[in-house]
Amino acid sequence: MSEMLEFVTEVVEKIYKDLITKETVDLLEEGKWATTLWQQLVDNELLKVAITEQYGGANGDIADLLALYQLTGYYAVPAPVLEHTLANFILEYVRLTPFESITTISFNDKQMLTMTNGKLDGNIPNVPWARSAQQLVTFAQEGEVLKLIAVGLAQASIVQATNLAAEPRDTVSFQQAEIIAQTEINEQQLQKLIKYTTAAKLAALSGALDKAFQLSVRYSKEREQFGRPIHRFQLVQQHLANLAGEAAIATAAIENMAGALVNETERYEVAFTSIRLDEASKIVATSAHQVHAAIGVTYEHSLQHYTRRLWAWREEGLTTHYWQKQLADDLLQVENVWSWMTTK
Amino acid sequence: MKLPVVHFTQEQEQFRLEVRAFLQRHLKEGTFRTKCDSWLSGSDPVFSKLVAEQGWIGMTWPQEYGGGERSTIERYILTEEFLAAGAPVAAHWFADRQTGPLLLRFGTEEQRQLFLPKIIRGDCFFAIGLSEPNSGSDLASVRTKAEKVEGGWLVNGAKTWTSNAHDAHYMVTLVRTAPYDQVSKHSGLSQLIIDLHAPGVTITPIPYLTGERHFNDVFFENVFVPDAMVVGTIGNGWTQGLAELAFERSGPERILSTFPLLNELIIELKQAYDTVGLATASKLLAEMWSLRNLSIGVAQVLEEGGEVAIPAALVKSIGTKFEQKIPEIARLLVATYPRLQAERAFDRYMAESILHAPGFTIRGGTSEVLYGIVAKGVVAQ
Ligand SMILES: Cc1cc2nc3c(=O)[nH]c(=O)nc-3n(C[C@H](O)[C@H](O)[C@H](O)COP(=O)(O)OP(=O)(O)OC[C@H]3O[C@@H](n4cnc5c(N)ncnc54)[C@H](O)[C@@H]3O)c2cc1C
Repeated sequence: MSEMLEFVTEVVEKIYKDLITKETVDLLEEGKWATTLWQQLVDNELLKVAITEQYGGANGDIADLLALYQLTGYYAVPAPVLEHTLANFILEYVRLTPFESITTISFNDKQMLTMTNGKLDGNIPNVPWARSAQQLVTFAQEGEVLKLIAVGLAQASIVQATNLAAEPRDTVSFQQAEIIAQTEINEQQLQKLIKYTTAAKLAALSGALDKAFQLSVRYSKEREQFGRPIHRFQLVQQHLANLAGEAAIATAAIENMAGALVNETERYEVAFTSIRLDEASKIVATSAHQVHAAIGVTYEHSLQHYTRRLWAWREEGLTTHYWQKQLADDLLQVENVWSWMTTK
Repeated sequence: MKLPVVHFTQEQEQFRLEVRAFLQRHLKEGTFRTKCDSWLSGSDPVFSKLVAEQGWIGMTWPQEYGGGERSTIERYILTEEFLAAGAPVAAHWFADRQTGPLLLRFGTEEQRQLFLPKIIRGDCFFAIGLSEPNSGSDLASVRTKAEKVEGGWLVNGAKTWTSNAHDAHYMVTLVRTAPYDQVSKHSGLSQLIIDLHAPGVTITPIPYLTGERHFNDVFFENVFVPDAMVVGTIGNGWTQGLAELAFERSGPERILSTFPLLNELIIELKQAYDTVGLATASKLLAEMWSLRNLSIGVAQVLEEGGEVAIPAALVKSIGTKFEQKIPEIARLLVATYPRLQAERAFDRYMAESILHAPGFTIRGGTSEVLYGIVAKGVVAQ
């Protein structure tokens, strides 16, 4: 990460710290979101980190974005920061123009949109923040050809829904909708885009995971039973040790994955990170709740914001299920696993 | 720790089918909708009344109070069937499982006459008031205080995490009737039956992970409890409470809270002819089978009046882990998008299982504390 971007991340974190409290995240429950925060980010041009100078951005790369998404997960940011920045990054990747107004993105392994004579039809479930966004970036099939498209959401009919963490995940339907921008995608680009979106989700997830760990440590020092803080009990220490281990493993996995993606050397990194973080989120959610005991399963305590995100996010986009299958296919071609993993 | 092997009799098998038919009928008629963790989160007083009409509340209790004098094993079968179908039994659950047996063992004749017939008719629900804001695992540190006054006791303090207090009429409440003594924390505790509609009682909901109301804070401000509502002996609350816990910890509700999801998983896999998935799912079934053996064995020993504290703690700690594991394995076998409002049953059961799972290894004593009990027990043997 360049010095400039390091600075940017610091500024973003400071804004998150100032503006996102448990109450701000709670607002999602009532269908509201952090519009004040969004305005701050827009005013300070912080949403342009990863677009090129040509469009007024800071030229950041995918690793910079992933760093930003870890923070977004760590603070459970109730705004479409990830979707908007990722959509624009991807538009530029396929040489389309990024948008100023709120843009969202949805990549599924099931293609449900079709294009005929330049018009779009079909529907996609679980589109993040569709109700608040102006454009959607997604795939569409035109005959035999796969396209990446941007389409205005004003022409869509939107049925609102939320994921387990109360984040907007709407069903969006198009009927003969006009397309704003489009380009043909080849197999290699497709693979890349799928990896970028999965990596983005995993980075956010690792942030939430880290927060659940930090909250558990803090709580174990504050909470007393049998006349002493609970971190003094060996079984609680075991939870804390497990949590620490999972958090460390997750962070390292994200960094390795980010490095491989930036250097374009990635092969199995995204798949491995996905599989390992799926396991980590399971262990962390379980142990964090166990350490917090009853208070942790209430709306009163903020732990739920992070564990519910872990549970929701791991099922979104391309899941571990998908990556396991990919790996299985790869492995069928591999002669020697050890050399496959250790030799370029 | 050898537990008996229980073989169900012909009549017991017959009874199981009878219960199953009842549940199937009501499912079909839409009386209830299957739900995971229905014994804690599915409170439906109307359904409880239907269960009562079948004679299935207090079914093991003496006939003189309206009970069915049936065996613990039959009650076990009934409970299993309810949980497997995900029926909303939370309203009468605690009265049936805990309060009734407590009163039969320690209550006065007057209390039995007053409460048992009403519980059996599905007209009277109880909550369990143990935990307090600062007394969770260390239950002996409870501070809610009852002071002796003319004709009864004056209660001040607060209970928390009280499941279903909002639907319950009464609460069996653990209180301090003598000042807290650091050295002998277990003495000076007593059990009182508190009328939850009495003046001075305030019940406020604590929203659960799902956003729904399952448990509550219960506050007492100068609540008067007549002498007649003392359960057992003043100062003997700790010992009496421990006796209750074996019933609380070893039942099928520590194994089957997420069974509706496992069942649905197998349905989905079969529809997809997914033999590999079914192979994995079958491991869960093997685990369930082995846990059931243990749990039924404990039920049999309880019936015979034997000592089961340690195996009961084991059933709870292993069983609740198993309940938690089901959603984690199911989601890797069938793609899901969990939502509490989902149309597709698999997604809905998944959401219920995930969001309720953290509570399984906490309520009724955390796994850590249970491991402590098991470890101490096996070391002492
Ligand atoms: C869904 C649900 C329903 C409930 N319903 C009821 C109810 O109806 N009535 C009622 O009275 N209570 C109820 N409870 C409360 C429950 O019994 C308590 O939450 C439980 O006893 C733990 O207490 P705590 O939450 O204060 O956790 P704490 O005791 O503060 O524990 C925090 C952590 O420290 C660990 N710990 C504490 N002491 C030790 C030790 N000595 N050794 C090792 N580890 C230790 C615990 O295992 C846990 O991981 C319910 C809880 C839940 C989640």
